[in-house]
Amino acid sequence: MKAMKRNRIAITGLGIFSAAGRDLPSFRKSLLAGRSAIGPIDLFDVASFPSGIGAQVRGYDPLDYFTARRAAKMSRVDQFGVIAAGEALRDSRVSEHYSPYDIGISLGAGASGMLQAEEWLRVSLTGKRGDPSLLRGLLPDRTATSIAESYNLCGYQVSITTACSSSASSIGWGADLVATGRVKAALCGGSDCLSLLTFAGFNSLKVVDPSPCSPFSLGRQGISLGEGAAFLVLEDEAEAKKRAAPIYGYLLGYAVAGEAYHMTAPDTGGADAARVMSDALRYAGVSPLEVGWVNAHGTGTPLNDAVESRAVKLVFGERAPLVPLVSTKGLTGHCLGAAGCIEAMATVVSLNEGTIPQTLNFRGADPECDLDYCHAGALPSAATLALSNSFAFGGNITTLVIESGREPS
Amino acid sequence: MNSAYHDTVITGLAAISTAGVGIDPLRAALERGTSLLAPVPEGVLAGGPHFWGKADAFRAADFMTPLKARKFDRCSLFAVVAAGMALKDAGIVQGSCDPARIGIVLGCGFGGINNAEEFLRGFFSSGAEGMVPMLFPNIVPNASASNASIEHKLKGPNLTTIQRFCSAESALLLALRFLEEDRADIILTGGVDEVTPTILKGFSALGQLRSFGSGFSEGAGILVLERGDHARRRKARILAGVGGVRTIGRLAPGASQEGINRLLPEPCEADLVALSGTAHLARELLDRLPAAPRLDTGEILGRSLAMGGLSMASLVLRLAPGDRGLYLAASPEGPWYAIDWYGGDPVQS
Repeated sequence: MKAMKRNRIAITGLGIFSAAGRDLPSFRKSLLAGRSAIGPIDLFDVASFPSGIGAQVRGYDPLDYFTARRAAKMSRVDQFGVIAAGEALRDSRVSEHYSPYDIGISLGAGASGMLQAEEWLRVSLTGKRGDPSLLRGLLPDRTATSIAESYNLCGYQVSITTACSSSASSIGWGADLVATGRVKAALCGGSDCLSLLTFAGFNSLKVVDPSPCSPFSLGRQGISLGEGAAFLVLEDEAEAKKRAAPIYGYLLGYAVAGEAYHMTAPDTGGADAARVMSDALRYAGVSPLEVGWVNAHGTGTPLNDAVESRAVKLVFGERAPLVPLVSTKGLTGHCLGAAGCIEAMATVVSLNEGTIPQTLNFRGADPECDLDYCHAGALPSAATLALSNSFAFGGNITTLVIESGREPS
Repeated sequence: MNSAYHDTVITGLAAISTAGVGIDPLRAALERGTSLLAPVPEGVLAGGPHFWGKADAFRAADFMTPLKARKFDRCSLFAVVAAGMALKDAGIVQGSCDPARIGIVLGCGFGGINNAEEFLRGFFSSGAEGMVPMLFPNIVPNASASNASIEHKLKGPNLTTIQRFCSAESALLLALRFLEEDRADIILTGGVDEVTPTILKGFSALGQLRSFGSGFSEGAGILVLERGDHARRRKARILAGVGGVRTIGRLAPGASQEGINRLLPEPCEADLVALSGTAHLARELLDRLPAAPRLDTGEILGRSLAMGGLSMASLVLRLAPGDRGLYLAASPEGPWYAIDWYGGDPVQS
């Protein structure tokens, strides 16, 4: 494998809509304050599950953002996506500079309109006729279409569906779209929302923690689910500078691979996760010595966190204890299809703020997780480069290499 | 925007469709050229006649033990079996290549939906006690590609895409880039899909049963995509080459001509034109196509979101060495794809 010479890909727009903040300023505030968004869920009945909590966007009223007619045509996931994408596009102002055919969408999807579709199924099973409009957003590609229609984006469109690594992959692929000249600007990210299917499903696998998730802690019992959407706008650095666009950072490289091991369990040695991180660094053309910290997949399941810790040791060797491995899922919950992008955004914001975010909800030190996880609090950092990891059902792994947009001091 | 030819070739094919299991039944169906769609039984969906393209000849037990087959959803079964057939067709034996250099990128439409439905049915009928945990991991659309990667030890790039009727073409574009950038030597690409009674009921509820949901089908079409130098080094049989890929997401209101020009720049030449998805309905694009024989696999096998795998495999089967193929795929609301193909080994012809 060789690294190809490629132009630097700049991040020129950010947008987010999540339980931890409904726009970039409020998300930034929650991130820096270490304020968890995990709490009781009232989106559907959770009484029959051991855990009734998650990071829900509570009190969300679509009419605060859309006309009733427009809202009725979109699922909750589509709406979240359109809101977050709008913030990123307005921020970058790419639509004022490029033809609609030169702006593409690379979206990471998850459960999509399942929340509505499962209501259709529930009603249909009673022998009654379910409201057909509940099925409109079922397919994961619908969110990209809604965004394209909302903002008149006519370039390339794709939806990547690799479960919890979807939106991290969408960012890597978005960078490729720009690097190859296929588009001048790529709107990349993901949107996902809580649904009975995913909530019940993860509970059935007994991987949902009844308390807010506590990644890398002793006694952790699993994930806390979340929901939200986040988008980055990517452009060629030279083009972005030519039009005086804001530059929040750079996507220096990425890698994707399959572990080819098991549908739900990672290979315990962490060798493949380490391989993907190392490949991402190689594609980015940077050395492990340049990496300041890693935004972990860090779900809070006993196995994931131990394996990810092992993988980080394989990549960084003796320096591993000096490279904090932090998880922001205690803040945002595990947002599945949107997790990778929300975490990439947390990484960009933190790099620019000169901080390494805290891993929340510490319960005690786990001997299997013996690195620095910033459990005690956020750390000031001069690092300009961080990795963001995403792992998924199926053994899909994606790592992004993100550089700060800050000018070196 | 077009992409230059990077010497990427096809060295293997596999097909599971309503025509049967394997490439030979597909080839025979293409030669006959008649529709293989069958009536949907009245018990499945009333108010017919409706038609669908079930891969009824496919039996998992022909390829694996029942115990193993129980692990997979139907789409994953298609993908696992078709991936094995494609690797064999390309002469790739497990262990002969570095697993990290072989990837899989598939388009998948309704993969996992049947497991999701069954899981929810259990919950709705019996509450938490009715949930069957083993169904849950395979509700994800990437279950097909990931199960295939696990079974065949493919540890390279692994992604799944969906973009309506162009889901498989979306996968092809990613696969091409991964080869071009030397992230892999070989990538299995194409599409996999399934059709179930509930999917048809969903189309019916949305009023799409006589439009886009008409003649919905299932199966898998997988192409072994390989860098030309790698294929020639291992003396692989080269079936075709993939040329430029042009794509747009949608036609801009008031500026549709710009989109059409980007997709099908003139002069537009080919010896064979293949249509996929809903391209047969895209009048504004059909008028731009060269006067060459046309192949619409959907008319024979039916249509699905990831039908491009079978459509592209069909085009490869029909292209004679030295021929140029133009492949046009469309979806009702976009995207659109135009892909140039070359029959045989484009470097030697």
